[in-house]
Amino acid sequence: MRWLDKFKLRVRSLFRRGDVDSDLNSEMEFHLARQIEANIAAGMSVAEARRAALVEFGGVAGLTEECRETRRVNWIQDALQDGGYGLRLLRKNPGFTAVAILTLALGIGANTAIFSVLDAVILRPLPYPAADRLVLIWTDMTSAGQSRAPFSGPDMADVRSRSRLLKDVGGIWVGRAALTGTGEPEQIKLGFVTDNFLAIVGVHPAIGRLFVAQDNLQGSAPALILSDGLWRRRFGANPEIVGQAVRLDGNVVTVIGVMPENFRLMFPADASVPPDVQAWTPFRRDLSREPRDLNYLRVLARLRPDATIGAAREEMHAIAAQMRKEFVVDSKQGEEFEVMPLQLDTTREIRPALMALFGGVGLVLLIACANVANLLMSRAGTRRREVALRSALGATRARLFRQLLTESLLLSFIGGALGIFLGWWWTAGLLSLRPKTLVLVESAGLNFTVLGYALAITLTAGVLFGLAPAAEASRFNLIETLKSAGHGSGFGIGKGRLRSLLVASEVALGFVLLFGSGLMIRTFLRLIGVNPGFSGEHVLTFQVAPGWARYPSDATHAQFFEQLRKNIATLPGVDAIGGASHLPFDDYPNWYGYYWPEGAPIEKQQSVMADHRATTPGFFSAMGIPLIAGRDFTDADDASRRRVAVVDDLLAQRTWPGESALGKKLFVETIKNGDFTQGETEVIGVVKHVRYARLADEGRPQVYVAYAQNAREQVAFAVRTADDPAALVGTIRAEMDKMDKDVPMSKVRVMDDYLRDARAGTRFTTLLAGLLAGLALALAAIGIYGVTAYSVGQRRSEIGIRMALGAQRGDILRMVLGEGMAWVLGGMGIGVLLSAILVPALSSLLFGVRATDGVTFAGVAVFLGVVGLLACYIPARRALRADPIVVLRYE
Amino acid sequence: MGKPTDLVQGTVDLLILKTVALERAHGWAIAQRIRAVSKDVLRVNQGALYPALHRLEQNGWIRAEWGESENNRRAKFYSLTRAGRKYLREEEANWERLSGAIGLVLKTS
Repeated sequence: MRWLDKFKLRVRSLFRRGDVDSDLNSEMEFHLARQIEANIAAGMSVAEARRAALVEFGGVAGLTEECRETRRVNWIQDALQDGGYGLRLLRKNPGFTAVAILTLALGIGANTAIFSVLDAVILRPLPYPAADRLVLIWTDMTSAGQSRAPFSGPDMADVRSRSRLLKDVGGIWVGRAALTGTGEPEQIKLGFVTDNFLAIVGVHPAIGRLFVAQDNLQGSAPALILSDGLWRRRFGANPEIVGQAVRLDGNVVTVIGVMPENFRLMFPADASVPPDVQAWTPFRRDLSREPRDLNYLRVLARLRPDATIGAAREEMHAIAAQMRKEFVVDSKQGEEFEVMPLQLDTTREIRPALMALFGGVGLVLLIACANVANLLMSRAGTRRREVALRSALGATRARLFRQLLTESLLLSFIGGALGIFLGWWWTAGLLSLRPKTLVLVESAGLNFTVLGYALAITLTAGVLFGLAPAAEASRFNLIETLKSAGHGSGFGIGKGRLRSLLVASEVALGFVLLFGSGLMIRTFLRLIGVNPGFSGEHVLTFQVAPGWARYPSDATHAQFFEQLRKNIATLPGVDAIGGASHLPFDDYPNWYGYYWPEGAPIEKQQSVMADHRATTPGFFSAMGIPLIAGRDFTDADDASRRRVAVVDDLLAQRTWPGESALGKKLFVETIKNGDFTQGETEVIGVVKHVRYARLADEGRPQVYVAYAQNAREQVAFAVRTADDPAALVGTIRAEMDKMDKDVPMSKVRVMDDYLRDARAGTRFTTLLAGLLAGLALALAAIGIYGVTAYSVGQRRSEIGIRMALGAQRGDILRMVLGEGMAWVLGGMGIGVLLSAILVPALSSLLFGVRATDGVTFAGVAVFLGVVGLLACYIPARRALRADPIVVLRYE
Repeated sequence: MGKPTDLVQGTVDLLILKTVALERAHGWAIAQRIRAVSKDVLRVNQGALYPALHRLEQNGWIRAEWGESENNRRAKFYSLTRAGRKYLREEEANWERLSGAIGLVLKTS
């Protein structure tokens, strides 16, 4: 209990100081009264007694102070006193205070915003139970040019049975299906999963149950689990949804559960598992009986609690080696299995950009701190007298240092509070601007971690920019200062060297930021300039999947699409129309396979891959893909004729260099009744290569086969029009309704939107980089301006003397500019060095530009030089307008 | 009045604690009692007394409470805490040892 009482006493001393003091006064009064009584009892008169008692009492003031001293809460009181003093000082210099606080707030706010994104994406675990145990397994077929390839059914089954470190292994493939029955027919993203897949993820359904092994058997009743979004939107959030039957692709399916709100599959972008899968259903077939070289499954596994990633990796390599020996199929040569932790894999694209931004924003904060330090030091110069007086009155150096540091911290905390607010606002801005693929970013916001970080950098910043001015101000020669008129610092003069150094370092850091963002801007411009191989303006796209229930064969599918194409072609406003199984930059799972020309030796046969597309006649003209040689498909190329193919110029050059590809025979992957096999085709046309997946990569060559000969479940139509593409939607829908009301039309977008999305990531990073660089530039310019203005102000008398002795305005200007620019150029030199070291880390973000790009270097150097020159010139000129006589007299 | 040396400070503390150990008293009474018991040799004036009382209170060795004095005036009464009692015993032992040692040294020269 003792420490509790003591604590209560301390608290009382701190907060009820008035009471404690008045207590002491009462005690004193009592003591005094008794003393007087004793004196009277000893024989003195009343007046004498009183006087004697008072004399004996002595100075009560000192007594009170001493008692206070013993109460040992002084340091808190001192700190509060310093704080109050600091606040008053800040209020008296509103200009200085505003600039300092704003500078700090901008720096701290930017850091808070970026950190909140960092926290959401990298620091926080994925929203699944024990998410660090989840891994993705990829097939690595580098020999065929594909390092992150999906699995085949038998491979997955073997991995599952042979692995001892993996608790369970499951797979998913996301396709499309037509949901009909209640309301308009709608095409949804459907995740075909093994029965254990969702159980591996570990999230329990909000309603109903997950799949069990029975659901996956061939003859079982088809089961469906809905996403929360689909359940709310289409089924009205009906709580009795379990057991309800819906029609999927014409088949009757029973709903057995609904996943919780906010459940999302966070897979890497190249896994073709989009986060907005709307429903899941089991494969309902034995995957281990499928062809071993049909790779399409994305495999997710959960590590045993005691297994490490490294051990799992080794185990997978061992299993792959076993399987290479056991199954000597050509395609298996050089095949490997790679294990990646899920979170690492999902964030691998955004990590470099995020870390670069984090670094950049840290640099901005350093520049801001340098500016505020400079501000404080220039203000310290004007407070020399005050500090000297206080020192003369008995303040120790430590006390003064503490006070100045407290003022800095005060500034820092006010700036930090405003900065947190700005950070919150900017985080919201980042969220609204983000590219749609960055799903993890959605949960960025101000939580305790972010606030803690903001507090930490506020404190660090305060100490950082407060140390130098406090140290400098509290160390000085007392007599000197009181005697002198306070001449002082400017560029490079005496103590002004520290300030000039700070400005030079600001310039250096600013250079790095400007250079980095300059590179990003050039990257973005290059990216925009990339010709993807097609022309997306004025092209409306939409996707149609009629469903196998009412269109059960390849022939009926092909017929439907042909009819639809012809009908739409007759509509007014339609210039061209064609369909394809895959649109560029769409998230439909890619179809790629081996190809080889007729006569290729066995070892060359399954070695190179191409993207395969099934297209209808008219696709190339609708998409603006130039036909280089030969012809497009026609209606004559149907299932009854020989199989034909159109290749792109890349494939043609690589396979038959120097010759025409027309008429050559090519073995490609074809579809017969839903099965994939290799088939022979004749090349009838060559088109320009199209970039299908990434603007920055050339990608694989393409092979187009005729849709009529290779029916797939869905076709994406492209309609070219001279007018606004959106205007056609209604008429096309009406046309489709005429043919079949139950066939949904989905993903209606202008083709250009896909391109915009593809560029969105880089655009986002570039925008942020540009903003940061602009901020850094502004801060550095303010810094240079400030120091120059102060320097010129301090050297007024010197300048006045020089002018009186005959120096012209131009001479003075040159002197001031020369000194200022010397520091700026020095800073730029360091900036060049720093850039050479730091910027290569950005290489993974760049496209078409090297990290040592000379043009950008030169551009930034010139730009920064000009800004620096202006920042020196303007204050110098203003100061020179003063009359030298006035200046000298002022002294 | 300068800051009292450690020895003096410790001695005043000891005197106060001992006085208060016998019965609770207010500041004036403590000073009077010390004076009386020491036969007017030790006079603790208020400049030393009250800071000492405050310090002892902050350390938790005595506790204070307001009460009514003999002549019905409000006064602050101090009494010994359990920790104070223990501290007093220790300090008394120390004092015995110290004064004994000094006495020995003085006797033998």
